[in-house]
Amino acid sequence: MAEYKGMAQPSRASDEDMRKIHIEPVPDEQKPEKAVEYLDYIRKQFRSFVMAMETCTKCGQCAENCHTYLGTRDPNNIPANRAELIRKIYRRYFTLEGRWFGSLVGAEDISLDLIETWYSYFYQCSQCRRCGHVCPFGIDTCEVTFIGRQLLHWLGITPKLHSDVGAAMERVGNHTNMPKPALADTLEFMCEEAYDEFGVEIEMPLDKPADILYVPSSADFLLNPYTLMCAGMFFHYIGASWTIPSAVTEAGNFGFLFDQYYTQRHNIMRLLNAAQELDTKKIVWGECGHGWRAAKMYIPTKADRPVRWDITHLHDEAAHLIRNGELKLDPNKNSRPVTLHDPCNYVRACGLNENMRTCIKASCSNFVEMEPYGYDNFCCGGGSGILFDDPDMYNKRIQLSWKKAEQVRETGVGKNGDGILCAPCSICKAQLYPMVEEHNLGVEVKGLIDLVGKALVWD
Amino acid sequence: MKLLIGQILPYITIIIFVLGVFYRLGRWVGTQIIHNITLSDPWLKTNGQVAVRIGTEAFLFRNFFIFDKALWAGALLMHLSLLNVLGGHVVGFGTLGTQFAFIPGVSEQLSQSLSNDLGTIFGILLFVALAYLLIRRLSITPIKQLNKPSDILWLVFLLLIVGVGDIMRFFHQFHVEYEPVRDYVIALGTFQPVVNMELLSNPVFLVHFTLVNILLILFPFSKLMHLFGMFAERWIVNRTYHEPAPGMPNIDVAAARKAGLGLPSSGGGAESSSEGV
Ligand code: HEM
Ligand code: SF4
Ligand code: SF4
Repeated sequence: MAEYKGMAQPSRASDEDMRKIHIEPVPDEQKPEKAVEYLDYIRKQFRSFVMAMETCTKCGQCAENCHTYLGTRDPNNIPANRAELIRKIYRRYFTLEGRWFGSLVGAEDISLDLIETWYSYFYQCSQCRRCGHVCPFGIDTCEVTFIGRQLLHWLGITPKLHSDVGAAMERVGNHTNMPKPALADTLEFMCEEAYDEFGVEIEMPLDKPADILYVPSSADFLLNPYTLMCAGMFFHYIGASWTIPSAVTEAGNFGFLFDQYYTQRHNIMRLLNAAQELDTKKIVWGECGHGWRAAKMYIPTKADRPVRWDITHLHDEAAHLIRNGELKLDPNKNSRPVTLHDPCNYVRACGLNENMRTCIKASCSNFVEMEPYGYDNFCCGGGSGILFDDPDMYNKRIQLSWKKAEQVRETGVGKNGDGILCAPCSICKAQLYPMVEEHNLGVEVKGLIDLVGKALVWD
Repeated sequence: MKLLIGQILPYITIIIFVLGVFYRLGRWVGTQIIHNITLSDPWLKTNGQVAVRIGTEAFLFRNFFIFDKALWAGALLMHLSLLNVLGGHVVGFGTLGTQFAFIPGVSEQLSQSLSNDLGTIFGILLFVALAYLLIRRLSITPIKQLNKPSDILWLVFLLLIVGVGDIMRFFHQFHVEYEPVRDYVIALGTFQPVVNMELLSNPVFLVHFTLVNILLILFPFSKLMHLFGMFAERWIVNRTYHEPAPGMPNIDVAAARKAGLGLPSSGGGAESSSEGV
């Protein structure tokens, strides 16, 4: 089903798919009752959620600051209204005012229709936190979306895309279902490519005990090969002892996006086990926005044991070396006009703002900021893995990227058709590859380490 | 009527208000900040920075200023006037308008007329600002799409309270002096009978007073709790954060470059400036 009563919805996992990720779907007639039960359980835990439910004054500031509302003008895509989809129920079942005053204060009885509405609108939100960034109180609607999706997941409603990714992760340790032999082949192939294209001889070790555990996005093996290749070149250039763990060739963690309990924790523990086996001293993360947030900000509170390793991002490390003058970079090797799309999770949740700029300015001779940029940047429209390909949702994705397209156009980097849109996150890349075509932006999408790697001066 | 509104209602109001507020705060305290969801816009490194950030948000409406100047002006005017009006109620009635007399050169008389004028000015500003917010609520598309009946009712209700309050200032037949009010509050506070006080024969005062009681009774169960919610929410998203130090173990870039790592041992290789990437 890609539509429910006029609402676009991602095609959903079958009951069989859900069982693969350990969920027994709740029968439709029990869903409303169970939804309230699960909500009651979860609302007693998360203060971030309770405050979002109880503090909003409906000032409306978040509306024009959410790319989903800007792109669709759908009232339910106003962040405060997205939260209202759950707040109605929260009011009705868990507050005195909701019980006494009902619809006067916006309380509403739970229904299957409402649950289906959740499925539509919590999968249009990309959890980009721009609403939290602009709200006078700091209300983070992303927290509401997390919980909306969690409830749906427990009820047995999860997009097929997400459930497949969850199952693949459990099976082989990455989202793209690549088994170890394929990983090894790809890495070998990349070393050859690095020689052919850049004239350098590098190694890309898999499962070789080493000081640095590098966690790439699995999409980098397939869709963004230069990101992985250039990360390899970077490590080789600095003479690092590094390796990629075949147990987790995945910087992303879709558990963070649809199931913050079992799936997210399971992925984290898998990584920590691998780090121990490979004698790791430090974990360095690859280009993946949500995955970096899930790692940097959530591993400390989700891991089942104390974490022994510092975890930093590849861009943090590259910027650090650039600031110390240890990387010799020639920005003229990247002379095409470049602009930077700030992945939301990097700038609003992980503090990567400055370091990305240190990297890009040192590696490109013609860099232009878009407006707004940094903390204020707008999402690409694909955040939180809403990369659905069924026609209804694909059309939504075009709408959701409207603001991004306008921003890129205004920089002028694509006006001669040879611009570069640097988008250092696998989900941003997957969203933007087709979207720059849909919106005719005249730019090519690339990662950030791609640019750094290309600018390296070897001799 | 006088007994009910003037004597009994205020006690009920205070009890509900206090218990209600504690009930709501208790619900919040019972939950946890489970994960670190600090906003890195940018990271705050010291508690001083946290205080500045939360303070400027709470008292200067920083985010409105950055993202919507019109809303900033209206909201700040409303809240500042409100702060002054509330403050005026306490200090003005408490000191009978002599609150400014401590300033050297300000006589008690001058203070009283200052107090009077300021009260009037902020009373009008508050009304105007509330009206502005109401018009905004009823005319701007996304906000119309957000409205629940209660959102509009609150503004109307506050306009009523303020309007009735202003009437007592503008129409001298309803005018209320500071002293009887102070005496009334003191009597309530010391559990003296107040039914025979002349103040309670002023119908406009009775209306104003009743509405305020209703406001306070509803307060703990309404969106006005954002007064406290504001700080509770900011306390989640604005806190200090310290980055793990960058720098990878056993790295010696200079040595690696000197050894020519990555340079083809056999020489050759493709042009390194190819446009591949
Ligand atoms: C530190 C204390 C307070 C802060 C930081 C604060 C902040 C805010 C903010 C940011 C808004 C949204 C802007 C708007 O819609 O105008 C708002 C709205 C509002 N506030 Fe406050 N507030 C505080 C105290 C109060 C108090 C004590 C009242 C009591 C009556 C109050 C009444 C209102 C009302 C009625 C609205 C809604 C206005 C509308 O519907 O447009 N506020 N407040
Ligand atoms: S900006 Fe914050 S307070 Fe205002 S409507 Fe949005 S969530 Fe509510
Ligand atoms: S997190 Fe982003 S997409 Fe979701 S409601 Fe907030 S601004 Fe909109």
